[in-house]
Amino acid sequence: MRRQARLPSPLRGEAEGGAGGTAARALGLVLLLAGACPLPAAAQVRGVELRTPRAFGYFQGDLVQVQAEIRTDPGFSLQRPSLPKPGPVTYWLDLRDVRMEESRAADGSRVIRLRLTYQNFYVALDARTLEVPGFPVTVESADANGATTAVAQVPAWKIGVSPLREVQPERRDDPAEYLRPDGRALRLDPQPALASAAGFLALAALALVLLAYDRAWWIFRGRRGRPFAQALKALRRAKRRSQGEPLYREALLALHRGLDATDGRRVLADDLPDFLGRHPAFREQASGLQTFFSASRLAFFGRDTAGAGTMLPLPEAEALLRRLGAVERSA
Amino acid sequence: MNTLRPGDAMLTDWREAAARFEREIAKAVVGQERAIRLLTIAIFARGHVMLEGDVGVGKTTLLRAVARGLGGAYERVEGTVDMMPTDLIYHTYLGEDGRPRVEPGPVLRQAEDLSVFFFNEINRARPQVHALLLRIMAERSVSAFNREYRFPNLQVFADRNRVEREETFELPAAARDRFLMEIGMEAPRDAQARRALVFDPRFHDTDRLTEAVGADVLDHDRIGTIASAIQHAISAEPAIETYVVGLWEALVRPGPAGIRLPGIDMDRLVQGGASPRGVAFLVRAARVRAWLEGRDWLVPEDIRAVFPEVMAHRLFLEPVYEMRRAQIVPDLIRAVFETVPAP
Repeated sequence: MRRQARLPSPLRGEAEGGAGGTAARALGLVLLLAGACPLPAAAQVRGVELRTPRAFGYFQGDLVQVQAEIRTDPGFSLQRPSLPKPGPVTYWLDLRDVRMEESRAADGSRVIRLRLTYQNFYVALDARTLEVPGFPVTVESADANGATTAVAQVPAWKIGVSPLREVQPERRDDPAEYLRPDGRALRLDPQPALASAAGFLALAALALVLLAYDRAWWIFRGRRGRPFAQALKALRRAKRRSQGEPLYREALLALHRGLDATDGRRVLADDLPDFLGRHPAFREQASGLQTFFSASRLAFFGRDTAGAGTMLPLPEAEALLRRLGAVERSA
Repeated sequence: MNTLRPGDAMLTDWREAAARFEREIAKAVVGQERAIRLLTIAIFARGHVMLEGDVGVGKTTLLRAVARGLGGAYERVEGTVDMMPTDLIYHTYLGEDGRPRVEPGPVLRQAEDLSVFFFNEINRARPQVHALLLRIMAERSVSAFNREYRFPNLQVFADRNRVEREETFELPAAARDRFLMEIGMEAPRDAQARRALVFDPRFHDTDRLTEAVGADVLDHDRIGTIASAIQHAISAEPAIETYVVGLWEALVRPGPAGIRLPGIDMDRLVQGGASPRGVAFLVRAARVRAWLEGRDWLVPEDIRAVFPEVMAHRLFLEPVYEMRRAQIVPDLIRAVFETVPAP
């Protein structure tokens, strides 16, 4: 169905109506005004067309689709607030949805397409024609000199509605039999949805674990480096590199660095009781550590590496380091 | 761990004397073991000492007790705003015969025998007086009456209270650098000592209290000799040299050393100071501490034991941080010791 609605322009009407001397002056004034305006209001809205799939055969509850096509001069666009709001239109008709798209026609004019979805609630007893009311929408063109607006009237149109059943149905004993059986619903397969849900859940858990690792939450809270394990590694590297006194000094240094890293500060010989107080797990190794500090003092500050070597031989130093590493792992 | 060689019997004897000296001082001053130990170190390092602390914590009592234990001549002056350098050198008066007289002042009165010069409230004296004191401390000599007086055994003890800032004159950096140590004194924390200080009448009369200290425990004439013997007897291994230089570097340039303190721009914290003389003093004091502990070699603990008192007042901070010095410098020193590895 095609329906055209040409809108009369008030300006054009005034211009046509002018006659006589004063009228001629008025005409001049109007023309002057029209000349001063960059966009004369005359032909701003070029036309409104309605397209519907069919004009009849609508039952109660059916959706009625209609497309309104508004052609305007170049530069115009729809004022969205002027669109009708979804909701009841009349007692038997609801507007469900309004969609809009704008495009440019070949001749440069703008085409505004409104896709309207109504729902019919009319309970018809016989086939009859009802009128769907029209509505105005505003189009505007804004430029540096200000905005020009014009109103496009979407006209009313008619649909034919039909009854669902006869007025006097066949008589039944059980009123429930008047009801039709429900339509069969499609059976959906939940398997893909379940699988993807499980997959995303696993991804989320993995991300949470990574975050907890990064922020040292939960089981990662107590995570630390293992300084004594690293010291043992350093000692093994030193063994390949050197021997004799330098190796012995490197072993002592490795132990020192392990203690320093465990405590987060430099531990001197006099700090041993404080160190054991802060790290009670190492208390069992107190005598070993005591010997180590005495030997280290002798070796580094007492100019007596040989004496230190008899006080704490290298294998014993390594054994001490290994014991400390074991305590560190279990702590 | 006594590793002193038997040949150094003199050093051993003197160590016992030093321990006796500490015990005697402790009779008069309770709860200040650390200050007493540091003063002993200063005496055997031949360094001048500044005591700093609140009013009435026992600064003067401690110094009087030390002076008594040390023996030798003892002079004491009180810093005042109108004191002039000449007041220390001489004083003038009219004699009974009506003729003017000029007599030596506190510094010269005991002449060469002067062993303890005690300057009370040093920050009340004017900079002119500080300048004279600088010469006495640095060179142990002063020119007066057309000749030069020398004080080979002189040790200057000064005190100042840190509560008052009005009508006081901050010591110039050069003068502060001449002090071996600045020892901060606080009232004892120990409840027992506090009770005794307040209720025991023995502590109320400081004159009688200092008299309880055995006089002349140390032979002040020979301290110079023994001090130099200590410096030669205590050896420093390359490891300890590396350690001290590392500490020095970290103290002056804490940013590159990896030290971070909350809310402080580490690259702009330290303006200067920590002079080579200061670090030399540090090692000197540390050697005395090693000797007192019965070792003939230095360990890092010796350095650490004297470090705050010897180095803190030689460090100059940017003006922005200078007002918070009392809080920042101890934190910085602690961080330095937590950062520099030993050995």
